[in-house]
Amino acid sequence: MIKNYDELTSLEIDTLREIGSIGTGNAATALSQMMNRPVRITLPEVRIMGYNEAIEWIGGPEEVTAGVLVKMSGDVGGIMLSVQKLELVNIVLETMLGESVTSYEGLTELARSAMVEIGNIMISTFINALSGLADLNIKLTVPAFAVDMQGAILTVPMAEYGGMSDYLMAIGGNFVCDGKEVPCHVLLSPDLRSLDFLLRKLGVSDG
Amino acid sequence: MAESKLTVGIADMKLLQGSGLLVTYALGSCIGLCFHDPRLRLGALLHIMLPLNMETGRTHPMKYADSGIKETLKQLEAKGGSRSRITVKIAGGAKMFEVSGAGGLGNIGQRNIESVHAVLRRENIRLIGEHTGGTVARTMLFDVVSGQACIRSYGQKDIIF
Repeated sequence: MIKNYDELTSLEIDTLREIGSIGTGNAATALSQMMNRPVRITLPEVRIMGYNEAIEWIGGPEEVTAGVLVKMSGDVGGIMLSVQKLELVNIVLETMLGESVTSYEGLTELARSAMVEIGNIMISTFINALSGLADLNIKLTVPAFAVDMQGAILTVPMAEYGGMSDYLMAIGGNFVCDGKEVPCHVLLSPDLRSLDFLLRKLGVSDG
Repeated sequence: MAESKLTVGIADMKLLQGSGLLVTYALGSCIGLCFHDPRLRLGALLHIMLPLNMETGRTHPMKYADSGIKETLKQLEAKGGSRSRITVKIAGGAKMFEVSGAGGLGNIGQRNIESVHAVLRRENIRLIGEHTGGTVARTMLFDVVSGQACIRSYGQKDIIF
């Protein structure tokens, strides 16, 4: 039986949290190697939320953020979205390019491509961890990038699967770099068939 | 006295009569529709996300263009609104991400625009203003007395229409 997000058992949610933990942990390691300084991740939380709740959780609809989006296909279909707040962007930019920005409007072409790269690293290390864990073959598209109101960015995965579900799954954690804690949000939005397949593959679904 | 401002969420609709502002934030591929009956100073703002309702349970009519528009008209008519007076202004339907490669994203914004047009035509409701498509998110404000709508986008001038 294909489950909807709100029907997941606590064991299944724990499993997803574990995936989130391994995925974001690997992303932190990759980021750390790239910048050549330690980056840790706090224990991530997995949230299954209604649309409007998800937007409040990430910090309000009109706040401008950078989003990197990748479409998954293969064993797991769906969307993966990395939402980057300016604080995280600046830590990376300062380390790699020796520059920082006060708003998204001041982004140079180089800074933009650095941001796409951060998102790409977050997403692909996450997916690699997931593929390894569950022995899956997942293909990813080239990352797409947008800077705009985060409410509109978040509705992309919502709308894509909105016909099937009223809920969205998000994984959030904080990166810790040089004692500074910056929020980091990744949204793993598998279609429901894939979510079901994933949980079964990991041996936690009773279906 | 401060004017009342009601926030309309995603897959949501709110009605106001007499005075006040309705607002819905960050329309991406979603579409915001401002319904206005000038004689009654009656207005509604609807925020739809998808073009067609194919749900069997029909638990969220406001999520879809077809069922959302019908339900909104029904509620406006219950307050005395008349289809011959009701006009609509719309905004949204943008494409937030350009995903390349096989199996890219379905162009939901464009499909939403087309569906809204078709449903309004079928329901015989006049569409008198439109800011749709493109690639930027829009916040839409609507004054139920004047029927004026305002669009706020990141890094751009406000549009009043």
